[in-house]
Amino acid sequence: MLWKEKYKIGIEKVDQQHKEIFNRLNNFLNVVRNDEEMKSKLEEIEKTLDFMGQYVVVHFDSEEKVQQEYNYPHYEEHKEVHDRFKEEIINFKQEFEADKYNEDLVMEFSGRLLTWLINHVADEDQKIADYIQK
Amino acid sequence: MTTDYIEPIFTATNKVLNNILQLKEIKQGPTAVTEELIATKKVNISIGITGDLEGAIIFSFPEEMALKIVREMSGMEIKEIDKFVTSAVGELGNIICGNALTTLSQNDYCCDITPPQVIIGIDNKISLASEEISIMPLETNFGEFDVNIGLCNC
Ligand SMILES: [Fe+2]
Repeated sequence: MLWKEKYKIGIEKVDQQHKEIFNRLNNFLNVVRNDEEMKSKLEEIEKTLDFMGQYVVVHFDSEEKVQQEYNYPHYEEHKEVHDRFKEEIINFKQEFEADKYNEDLVMEFSGRLLTWLINHVADEDQKIADYIQK
Repeated sequence: MTTDYIEPIFTATNKVLNNILQLKEIKQGPTAVTEELIATKKVNISIGITGDLEGAIIFSFPEEMALKIVREMSGMEIKEIDKFVTSAVGELGNIICGNALTTLSQNDYCCDITPPQVIIGIDNKISLASEEISIMPLETNFGEFDVNIGLCNC
């Protein structure tokens, strides 16, 4: 999962946070998809989920603050998308805790996360950049 | 029967794939109409639609294209269709339909989508509630795929 320059929205702090999320998720995918047994992956999966749970909240807050500063007209919708995503991570964490050796569950979540995140950063967050530049 | 919802679906497909995969261009082939959908491609993602339009939109990708999409997104070596791949491609379908519904809601079609279902295999008959299915073939530098639209505004 690679960070691309075109994902930048032009706000240094937010861009750094996006990069960090991409890097972490990239490591996570490498762990999830290696050929080793589920047992040896558990620790890393839990670590990443904890990180994502916390860092994503911090990042979304920063991004939402930028939107408010610039009076971004789609703030409410965007916040709703963020809130739904935070909820999904919490839900998955619970599901995972209850069924730790279920590899399909982790694969299913990771695939969805991958596409979701790229689309969010490459499309929905870009709309903030477009607005700010205007 | 009006099919004014087809163009917004194409536009959304085009937009989302361009954003995520940096596709150069998506060529839209002539849309065919059928009463029965038989899978001609291996990875089929079905998104159910409810509301003013009822039915499903099915994205049909050849195996190699599905793998290529997930390789491009993840930057990882992906050799076979597994849960990770179908889930990533399923989410792609989900996002495309979400985008299409936003446009359609401006045209007074108020709809909801249901989570993606994955149907793997060629020659399977894919049952759809609608009587007519529009098959929209699309050509990209990632391969050729179909968007099958089985919707009814009755
Ligand atoms: Fe965002």
